[in-house]
Amino acid sequence: MNTCGEIRESIGAWLDGELSGAGADAVRLHLETCLVCGEERRQLENLNRAMKDVFESEDFRLDAEPFWHGLRQRIAAKRPWHADLAEWAGPFIRAPSFAWAVPAVIVLLIGALYFGSILPGWGVLAPRNNFATVESIDAYGRNVALLREHESKTTVIWLYQNPDNENEGAGETSDKGPAF
Amino acid sequence: MVEASDWELVQKCQAGDMSAFEELVSRYQQKVFMVILGLLRNREDALEVAQETFFRAYRKIKSFQGGSSFYTWLYRIAVNIAIDAQRRQKRNPLDFRESMDGVMEERNEFAKDPFADVHDKELRVKLVQSINDLTPEHRAVIVLRTLEGLSYKDIGALLGCSEGTVMSRLHYARKKLQEKLRAFL
Repeated sequence: MNTCGEIRESIGAWLDGELSGAGADAVRLHLETCLVCGEERRQLENLNRAMKDVFESEDFRLDAEPFWHGLRQRIAAKRPWHADLAEWAGPFIRAPSFAWAVPAVIVLLIGALYFGSILPGWGVLAPRNNFATVESIDAYGRNVALLREHESKTTVIWLYQNPDNENEGAGETSDKGPAF
Repeated sequence: MVEASDWELVQKCQAGDMSAFEELVSRYQQKVFMVILGLLRNREDALEVAQETFFRAYRKIKSFQGGSSFYTWLYRIAVNIAIDAQRRQKRNPLDFRESMDGVMEERNEFAKDPFADVHDKELRVKLVQSINDLTPEHRAVIVLRTLEGLSYKDIGALLGCSEGTVMSRLHYARKKLQEKLRAFL
């Protein structure tokens, strides 16, 4: 602890009597020789004195009798249930500060990307494509076609029979769907 | 007659003895009020917060196991409520400044001595403004150190932080005040 900067950071603690033997000696010896740090010490002493004056000039007297009377009334009064709940939950439901906003947004984005990767179509970044499928529903060539158009939010369900494939087996997916 | 210790009074209070709580209030009301007024600088707000402090202490006294001294536990409640109140005041600085001016005028601080040094008065006004501008955490360490003369260790125990943090906060709080008041010091 030799530089003026380091000494200046410790002068306050030294004046408060909070420095250990070696640290206190280093500050004291430095102050004996350094005029600039000596000026810093003088200013801090004046500041401490001025603060003490300001605080001591306050009227700190408390009228004990009315204080106790008011407190007793408060204790005796039954508080509404929401006041108890607010007191109990207070530490948990403080308004979120800006400091929490950044990690919260990051977590939400990671969550959106994660769900988007394991559940296609669920993530916020997942593309919202139109959807079309054709399924054969019986052994006589009857099919159902489903069209979902995202922009207009229109769903069309189309039942039709393909005359060329009337005898095809059931359960097969038709390769030839209707032209949308 | 031997005076009961805080812990004895707390135990009586936990058993439902209201007079024991009254004794605890009478022991600490003045000191608690001083610290809160130092933090809030508004008498009415300080009275309200002091009452809320003892009210909460009464409601939670059964959970107090004597791990720390009663006054440390009580001060911690007081400082936490006062810091919350300070944050609310910060959101409404005009009212706060007006209330402070009201206190000064009420106490006739500026007109006490017609020959009082103008420099001192200016320093005082500027200092009050600068203390009000400190963050709640910085103001708390300044008040607890200057007004109560508490050690860094005790302040750390009250505010729930380390001695190093107390030292650092005190250093920066004083530095800020010093920068604003350099012309007067």
